[in-house]
Amino acid sequence: MPSSVQHPDQPAVPEVMLSRRRFFVHTALGAAALLIWPQLTFAATGSDTRFLFVLLRGGLDGLESVPPYGDPGYQAMRGALALSPSAAKPAHRLDHVFALHPSFDFAAQLYAQGQFMPVVAAAPPYWGRSHFQAQNCVENGTAKPDGAQTGWLNRCIACMPGVAGLACAAVMPLTMRGSATVETWSPPLPTEVNPILLQRLQPLYAADPRLAGPFARAIAQQQDSPVPESGAGNMAMAGGKPHQKRAGGLPVMMAAAGGFMGKAGGPRVAFVEDDGWDTHANEAAIVTRKIAELDAGLKAFHQSIRPVWKRTVVIVATEFGRTARINGTGGTDHGTGGSMFLAGGALRGGRVAGSWPGIGAGDLYQQRDVHATTDFRSVFKGVLGAHLGVAESLLASRVFPGSAKVAPMGGLLADVRAAA
Amino acid sequence: MSMSGNAVTAAVNRFGLGGKPGELASVHDPRGWLDAQIARGSDAGALFANLPTSLNLLREEATLQAVRREFKHGNRGRRTLLAAGPQASPADGKTGAAELQQALRPYRRHERDDLLAQAAARYRVASITDTPFIERLVHFWSNHFAVSVDKRPARLFAAPLEREAIRPHVSGRFADMLLAVETHPAMLLYLDNIRSVGPNSRLGQRIAMRLARGGNQDKGKAGGLNENLGREAMELHTVGVGAGYTQADVTEFSRALTGWSIPFPRDFANGKQPQSAFVFRANAHEPGARRVMGKTFPAGGFAQGRAILEFLARQPATAKHLALQLAQHFVSDQPPQALVERMAKSYLDHDTSLAAVYRTLIASPEAWDANARKFRTPQDFVIASLRAAQIDLGDKPQPVLALLMNLGEPVFDPRSPAGFSDASANWIDPDAVWKRVQAAEALSARVAQAGGQPLGLAQDILGPLLDADTEQAIRRAESKRQAHATLFACPAFQWRV
Repeated sequence: MPSSVQHPDQPAVPEVMLSRRRFFVHTALGAAALLIWPQLTFAATGSDTRFLFVLLRGGLDGLESVPPYGDPGYQAMRGALALSPSAAKPAHRLDHVFALHPSFDFAAQLYAQGQFMPVVAAAPPYWGRSHFQAQNCVENGTAKPDGAQTGWLNRCIACMPGVAGLACAAVMPLTMRGSATVETWSPPLPTEVNPILLQRLQPLYAADPRLAGPFARAIAQQQDSPVPESGAGNMAMAGGKPHQKRAGGLPVMMAAAGGFMGKAGGPRVAFVEDDGWDTHANEAAIVTRKIAELDAGLKAFHQSIRPVWKRTVVIVATEFGRTARINGTGGTDHGTGGSMFLAGGALRGGRVAGSWPGIGAGDLYQQRDVHATTDFRSVFKGVLGAHLGVAESLLASRVFPGSAKVAPMGGLLADVRAAA
Repeated sequence: MSMSGNAVTAAVNRFGLGGKPGELASVHDPRGWLDAQIARGSDAGALFANLPTSLNLLREEATLQAVRREFKHGNRGRRTLLAAGPQASPADGKTGAAELQQALRPYRRHERDDLLAQAAARYRVASITDTPFIERLVHFWSNHFAVSVDKRPARLFAAPLEREAIRPHVSGRFADMLLAVETHPAMLLYLDNIRSVGPNSRLGQRIAMRLARGGNQDKGKAGGLNENLGREAMELHTVGVGAGYTQADVTEFSRALTGWSIPFPRDFANGKQPQSAFVFRANAHEPGARRVMGKTFPAGGFAQGRAILEFLARQPATAKHLALQLAQHFVSDQPPQALVERMAKSYLDHDTSLAAVYRTLIASPEAWDANARKFRTPQDFVIASLRAAQIDLGDKPQPVLALLMNLGEPVFDPRSPAGFSDASANWIDPDAVWKRVQAAEALSARVAQAGGQPLGLAQDILGPLLDADTEQAIRRAESKRQAHATLFACPAFQWRV
């Protein structure tokens, strides 16, 4: 297992001592105590790092988010959707082949500081183009849509004694389901709670042994809630569309995640999701808006997690890329290889990772999609191993079962030792 | 056996859905009250009349698809369709897309109205029924056989599944309910069985030949065996995960289920009128005998899969699995082993009769233990509030749907075939508690202001559970609305005891 990552602002702690402390926390306090983040401060391992996973449901178009403007086949293949650093609305130039979508303003700044990195031509091991099957694979961490009923990030947390996770979602997502303790958070209802009602409820809840703790913590959390209650854009009894989901959007959710994670003893591992990335029609406008949301989310997260940004890595992934060609409705259909993004102060970014298969007509997978050359799991394993200190043997057996042949991507961290 | 003093509240809250005004006072013989509901069955029938059937919905989807296809062909012309490579100019594409959306709008609106009407009926029934034990059981089985509407193809059918496959069998044989569920379009769509093709079936052979000739290589479209339904039917619906079956059993069972499908849009074309929402496609069915969990099932088309389901329903592991889940739902997260075993035995002794299991449950002293209790899930909480204050949403269930989503239990959307968790630990956390207080405030705004006094309502609904401090808090509320909010938000209202 990689030794614990040492940071300049933190004293090194001998590994043996750490292990014993972890063991103590795990067994002596048990699951009940682990529910409570504020009490976990002492359980933080020597490498008090943070990891956020952002899942974009619907299939973000890799050729739109990271246009390979320097690929000779690109302009012809993309037609009206082609982007370029020399266009009227210029894409952010990354190198002589790749650029970032024009909406990625903040990401481009991070890139310049070596804190942002696209991975091109990446995909989960499932290539079947079904949203749900592909999302299942991205979330359950296996090569099959029904390969596990729990999520890889929960199993990762289970390998990190004393660590609790946070899912910024009203319903526990598959990624975070499993035996490890994960709390959920979603924006409060816009309903104002009468402070007098709270006062009246306080003694009543104090007398209920099972509910007293959660109630007290709820009140404490509200007092330093990372988002203003009114800003949630949510709906309560007043109405709202029944099938509208995950109110708040990426900026609100990512700001909240950063707020919780940035606190001393906050959750080290968190999850945020978003949908609306399925662009079968009118793609240019939708992607411009959605990438702006993602970019604002990154900015909000960077701001709210600031005290620990330099010990943080973010992975943004989507279930598949899209067809290389434009369809008849100004959009693209379900494809294979897509783009993934890494960000964070602990990242060795400022470069484009992955191996580019090209998008000439002869390069495409089944004559339609960008070929996938990077298995998501190699990136996940690279980050979880080097950044969170999860042993490679556990990554290959427990977190991503059956992935022994998928080597962790190396050199992802700014830290020297992680590059080994 | 003497019943504890709280047997009446247990019957109304833990076995029922929480009291309507006057309900607690009306129950004198808690066990008899539940028993009579088993005998009588649900009183909800009339409220579900006129809702769309699965067959209607499949027909409408077929129409929708026909509109879409016609539009595509008509708009772009056949030549464009046949041509490979970049198609219509982006401007044309854009207008085309907008026109298509326009053409689809009435269908989408109709679809939404159908979904809302079904949700309205579900929560109307829950808030007024006088057979709340049966209604709770319906919700229980509906969650046991969860179909999550986040899978788009299945989204229209989750509510019909509850009405068409669960309700008719809620106190009948489990084996019958199981067959009704696994042949329902909701489950067949949700767990991907509709296009599961046996490799040696006629259709499977045709596909293999096409592939051999270098035809369609698209992984997603090539027909083949899909194990999703077979696996979940064993793991979640019947014997349960620790029952000792192997991957080979799952594969064999899945082979037996090949051909279990629904009428496709083409089956409605040219005036054809399928008579059932289930279709057995003999040409996709894997020929031959199957061996599942040590027993051989001879070839027999649809009857083969049906026989395996019946066999699975009668397994002792299934009896234990179901008995444990029921006891966990009605008694406590860790129910007494003796109770579970008694219920399982009753199930096996009575030809998988659920009524027999329920009767054994309510006849058991453990079911009435003073320490037995469950935390109300968001849905339990919302329904109990609607019942307590007789909040009438009319035909507009949107507020309740939005509330349930925000509380983390969106209707028919557990995002997993395992359904929503039934364990208190999964529902008690600070975020959940806080949202519940907010939900109590929101619900209190819906309580009709005319009528009785909130304190009287609290006494009526909570009965002996109303402690002096809670009573005082309600008495001191500065408005009726705050008093109702206090009732809904107080800890005593959060438990099924």
